[in-house]
Amino acid sequence: MGKLVAYRVLFAVPQLAIVSLVVFSLTYLVPGSPAAAILGTAATPDAIAQVEAQLGLDRPPLERLASWFGGVLTGDLGTSFRSGVPVAELLGQRFPATLSLVLGGMVVALVVGVGAGVLTGTRPGTTTDRVITGGTVLGLAIPEFWLGLVLTLVFAVQLGWVPVVAWTPITEDPVAWLRGLLLPSVALGLTGAAIIARQTRAAVVSALAAPYVDTLTAAGVPRRRVVLVYGVKNALVPVLASAGITFAILIGASFVVEKVFTSPGLGSLMLTSVIGKDFPVVQGVVLLTAVLVVVVNFVLDVGYGVINPQARPQ
Amino acid sequence: MSAAVTVGRPASASPLRRQAASLAQAWRRLRHQPATVAALVALVLIAVAAAAAPLLAPFAPDETDFTAALSGPTAEHPLGTDDLGRDTLSRVIYSARTALLVAGGSVLVAMLIGVPLGLLLGYKGGWYDRLGSRGLDVADALPGLLVGFVVIAVLGRGMLVLIVAIGLIFCMNFARMTRAVTLTERKKPYVEAARVSGLPHRQVVFRQVLPNLAGPLVVQGAVFLGSAIKVESALSFLGLGLDESQPSWGGMLGLAAEHQADHPFMALPPGIAIVVTVLAFNVLGDGLNDALSGRRPTRRRRAARSAARPQRAGGIPPASAAVAEQHPRAERPVAAAQTVRPEPAALELRDVTVVADRPTGETVPLVADVALTVARGEVLGLLGESGSGKSMLAKAALGLLPAGVRLGSGSVLLHGRDIAGCSDRELREVRGRSLGVVFQNPQANLSPVHTVGRQLAEPLRAHLGMSRVQARERAAELLDLVGVDDPRRRLGQYPYQFSGGMAQRVAIAIALAGEPDVLIADEATSALDVTTQSQVLDLLLDLRERLDMAVVMITHDLGVVAETCDRVAVMYAGQIVETGAVRSLFDRPRHPYTAALLAAHPSADRDVDRLPTIPGRVPLAGEWPPGCHFAGRCPFVRPECTAGPVPLTDHVRCVRAAEIALEVSEVAHA
Ligand code: SF4
Repeated sequence: MGKLVAYRVLFAVPQLAIVSLVVFSLTYLVPGSPAAAILGTAATPDAIAQVEAQLGLDRPPLERLASWFGGVLTGDLGTSFRSGVPVAELLGQRFPATLSLVLGGMVVALVVGVGAGVLTGTRPGTTTDRVITGGTVLGLAIPEFWLGLVLTLVFAVQLGWVPVVAWTPITEDPVAWLRGLLLPSVALGLTGAAIIARQTRAAVVSALAAPYVDTLTAAGVPRRRVVLVYGVKNALVPVLASAGITFAILIGASFVVEKVFTSPGLGSLMLTSVIGKDFPVVQGVVLLTAVLVVVVNFVLDVGYGVINPQARPQ
Repeated sequence: MSAAVTVGRPASASPLRRQAASLAQAWRRLRHQPATVAALVALVLIAVAAAAAPLLAPFAPDETDFTAALSGPTAEHPLGTDDLGRDTLSRVIYSARTALLVAGGSVLVAMLIGVPLGLLLGYKGGWYDRLGSRGLDVADALPGLLVGFVVIAVLGRGMLVLIVAIGLIFCMNFARMTRAVTLTERKKPYVEAARVSGLPHRQVVFRQVLPNLAGPLVVQGAVFLGSAIKVESALSFLGLGLDESQPSWGGMLGLAAEHQADHPFMALPPGIAIVVTVLAFNVLGDGLNDALSGRRPTRRRRAARSAARPQRAGGIPPASAAVAEQHPRAERPVAAAQTVRPEPAALELRDVTVVADRPTGETVPLVADVALTVARGEVLGLLGESGSGKSMLAKAALGLLPAGVRLGSGSVLLHGRDIAGCSDRELREVRGRSLGVVFQNPQANLSPVHTVGRQLAEPLRAHLGMSRVQARERAAELLDLVGVDDPRRRLGQYPYQFSGGMAQRVAIAIALAGEPDVLIADEATSALDVTTQSQVLDLLLDLRERLDMAVVMITHDLGVVAETCDRVAVMYAGQIVETGAVRSLFDRPRHPYTAALLAAHPSADRDVDRLPTIPGRVPLAGEWPPGCHFAGRCPFVRPECTAGPVPLTDHVRCVRAAEIALEVSEVAHA
């Protein structure tokens, strides 16, 4: 297991290095000068030069690259051009809400998705199977943010079961935090659940057709146990292998969903920064998101090694 | 070189022709998928509505009417209005234009970037591919929507930017898919041949790979059109899409979100429009995938079968055949005692019929009227070619028949108790406890993600109610019993750490855990190499003796029968055609099929999957002749053979058994 972790770290480091390189080069892709883009058409050359100096755009690329990597390693991602606040601080303020939402969504996606997949995969062709599988096809077509709107309408506005504006930091009131997270997590997680349910169903069906199922059943192990312990664990191997992609999708979707629930996450920060061309912040958000995806993939891969012995390096 | 050219030319035409044929087939299949047809109709309607928006929409999309602002559904505004009094219905219709235009454009962009990239990586291979694939992996670290954000941050807002942004999100998927298809295609002989014949690389790629890529591209294209609409609506919802003057479903929802407390209805029409459109694209994609891949399973299955055949024919000659002749089991005292047989048979099958229910509603027999007995301590061989129904028989006895196959009639008696038709719960007591089974494929018989010890403990805990610790102790003993060295350490290992022979020993240990009275070995040694095979067979015989079990050896291998069995039953096309003691049956076959088997393999050293001396092949289930199933291939056939069902009389199923004197050599010459 230790070897797997070490191996995976070796893979993650260059991945992060490349991502941060790509993020760094963003400002070079802006047509014309980023400073001109920031200031708009009415900017004077003086003002542009001043902004360029402020952003360090006037320095040679290699020097900038070196200081960028130095900053990344020390957690200094520059300062927001619009607010003058250090980017790291801005990210720190917004990260808890995004992390809560995405983890909540992932829990919903995994629990509902694996549950539905096992339910349908163990009884293919039945009415239960057809209804739930039809539900997953529908689930894939519903935009998360619209589901959020509809859920809010029904459960917050009409029924009043949960507050409309929901975000409470966990440090303030864990119960309120959880209650507020309920609807956003469901809205965010159901599409992921549909993806996972489809994969799980297929995996369960093929796992249950495997000869070891017959071997164990023929040895007198109760069918239920064979299905739930052996079939499901084998089915989880391919599902877990692709859960990282689902997670990345959820992060992206959370940026939109949080607007519906006015949750103070990275999404709204990103949105204002994109509109305001606040490049240091945009770079920071992208980098943080990439780190999150890489870390989660790392954890998933180690988990994958736990359930699939063959994935452990020898 | 010229030979290569002649190979190259017809081959280069083949993928196109194949493609055309399969497209026609796919289209035929598509028409029988009501959901796909419905999706297609819905999409055509949406496209028509988008194109004819000025004619269909009651108002212009930006026509404001402040007197009717934020109205619910009225006669004039069937879907209500927004805060500027703009007609929701009209805006929903006009928004379809935006959605389809952006989605179509972005999928086009994605293909234009992704397909050439994938072709390059797949075709060039080597460093290109390694670097490129790593790049695709890195791209996975960024959520698609974030890529969209970044592109818009860098380039600003606008229709073209939106299309490029969404296109960039999906281009990686197209690249990955194209790379995969190219990699498989370039290894195929016709691409190689075309390359050898001197066609320029580019031509090879475009002529050979692209036609094979068309199917997957269309499927993915349809699905990504749906996804692109979702992304477009999300970006518009955030206000990063097109500017306000361009109506879009996402933008309408952004407005609705501001009024969700006072005018909740506003969120419904645009949302439903998105869901219906995306759903239609997804269903279309799924349907296309089914229709296009429908041909694949049959083709692949056929390929797999023909690939498997030469392998098996290339066969494993059991070295033990000669040994078996020196020590014929039939003469052993144990077997001699069987003729008296004082106790009830350990396992008795009475008139067992197994049938398959076809989707068409007809019922096809797979096994007909099989009667068999095996006594304690006896080894019974069940010999037959593949397709004779011998494995179905084993599964029928255990109640493990696959879906669509069932026990038609008959009884399965274990020490006189009928277990046919017992429920799963009742069978649980029987399986592994009275009747154990070992299947063919050693590795696949064990779950790859559980330790061997855990799987071995399962039946111990189920049958003997052992605790975890006890089960572990006993599991180690069992592994020792089946000849696995260092059992305690091996318990903690996974199946992939076992060789085929060792894995099969574990499977035997699992079958033996409940101490069954009868062990069915269903081709249990067929997948093993010669040496391992005889070791495992010796183990089975040894265990039979030590545990006083009855063993049913299901096999297509005459050598296995000769080496291990006391008695043998020969199966042909779902029926038992002859039974007898191994020695006498091998010396004096009474059924022409048995004789033919032996003639084909006089030294009993090969499996019976091919019978070079008799023309024809085993009739498939459902195509059995009315009389003797062997009539089509029998050199002694007479009209009376096909008149009606032939009963098993005096251990042989042949109307002419009494009159024809079979010599092995005679059949060979007949
Ligand atoms: S019944 Fe007739 S056809 Fe069948 S095996 Fe006997 S002789 Fe041949």
